Amino acid sequence: MLAQMILQEDPMRWTGTLLNIHIAPAASYEMEELAEAQLEAGRGIVGDRYYLGTGTYSARPDVREVTLIEAEVLEAIAIGEPQIPGFKGELLPEDHRRNLTTRGVPLNHLVGKRFRVGECVLYAARMNFPCKYIEELLQMPGLYEGLLNRSGLNCAIEVGGVIRPGDAILPMEG
Amino acid sequence: MAAPRLIMKLRVAALRPTGGETLVVEFQHPRKPQLPAFTPGAHVDLHLPDGKVRQYSLCGDPADRSRYVIAIKREAQGAVSGWLHDHLREGMILPVSAPRNHFPMQPTEGPVTLVAAGIGITPVLSMARALGAEGRPFALHYVAPSRASAPLLDDLEALCPEGSLHLHLREETGARPDLEALLATPAKGAQLYHCGPAGFMAAVEAATRHWPEGSVHSEAFQPPDLGPPQPFTLRLKDGRELPVAANETALQVLRAAGVPLMASCENGLCGSCECGWSAGMPLHRDRVLSPEARSRRFIPCVSRAEGVIALDL
Repeated sequence: MLAQMILQEDPMRWTGTLLNIHIAPAASYEMEELAEAQLEAGRGIVGDRYYLGTGTYSARPDVREVTLIEAEVLEAIAIGEPQIPGFKGELLPEDHRRNLTTRGVPLNHLVGKRFRVGECVLYAARMNFPCKYIEELLQMPGLYEGLLNRSGLNCAIEVGGVIRPGDAILPMEG
Repeated sequence: MAAPRLIMKLRVAALRPTGGETLVVEFQHPRKPQLPAFTPGAHVDLHLPDGKVRQYSLCGDPADRSRYVIAIKREAQGAVSGWLHDHLREGMILPVSAPRNHFPMQPTEGPVTLVAAGIGITPVLSMARALGAEGRPFALHYVAPSRASAPLLDDLEALCPEGSLHLHLREETGARPDLEALLATPAKGAQLYHCGPAGFMAAVEAATRHWPEGSVHSEAFQPPDLGPPQPFTLRLKDGRELPVAANETALQVLRAAGVPLMASCENGLCGSCECGWSAGMPLHRDRVLSPEARSRRFIPCVSRAEGVIALDL
């Protein structure tokens, strides 16, 4: 009975919030927090390395106009989950090198779907894949494994605009 | 190539001149009270507006994470050091990398001898600070033409315990120090760290040739000169030999041969395509493997080899 009720729930019934916006001017530069960001459709966040073409992976054909990660993942890491020998640490929103930190958004479930962030529309092109690069940069051994399968999303910007922390993140039909 | 390091936009918090046409620069983070930690002998990269990058040893106290202190000597032919001397002002923001240490102190208990000439004093100064903080005895030999040309002499005199600082000033002795005599008898378990101009370092090496292996350490900022890519050959575990042309990567050749290998960045950064090597002469060009890992691991998307390299594939 309970299972039936859950199945009848709309799997896309959630509402989330944008917590933080970060950009970096070039590869390896420390991330900087923004109180407001301009998203340009088909390109990126104004001032960010992947908008400017100065990112580590800029030369690679891929979608990384804007990247997102869940605050819930950062909180799990802060309490030592997953339990990987030798891995502990705190990953702050300014450290993880994704652009947007979200709360209440099931990012992994959105691959291939559109969703709203404030007045903008993003298309979730692929799951983000963690990289040894960030482990090295932050001097946090084990972080690569710690982020496997929960490293967030790489998105294209379909409708640009201005976003701010506190903006609602909402699912869209289709 | 070195592994990536975080680059921070740091504020010039203080500037003061010291001996030998040298400028002492103190950096702080504009927003954070603590900077990434460093150990004695570490250096940072300064990123200049024209894209040039220069390495400077940290000469401050490793226990004080609120600031990085470097000393920049104005080099006669140095466009960068001249620019920094002329243009750095308090309050300026400059991109500075997180520290890295290619000149670490060994975790030993024995006596420590520090030998520096001129601006080579910078890494040695942070070592002296750390040894002093631990209450460990050390001898520091500092070589310079004169007091006026010796950078950071005031700092040294303030921090070195009585009898540990040995100045070798040509204006006083009229000669270069006799390094052979000075370093003739290594104490049991002694470690020696030296830094200075190339000629000076060669002289210290010559004077310590009889010291036990692994007891003499020096700083070398020498990025390998990577020439244009050359062809080489991969040997697989099944005996196959795969030639890699100058315009190909090992990863491309492995893929074409049907060897399954994960890959992501193909820039030598992410480590996805990492594999093992067992024989040959690898030319590591990745920015992910540690020096220790390079003795057995290989990043085929960017690294190459001389002749034939045997991979664990």
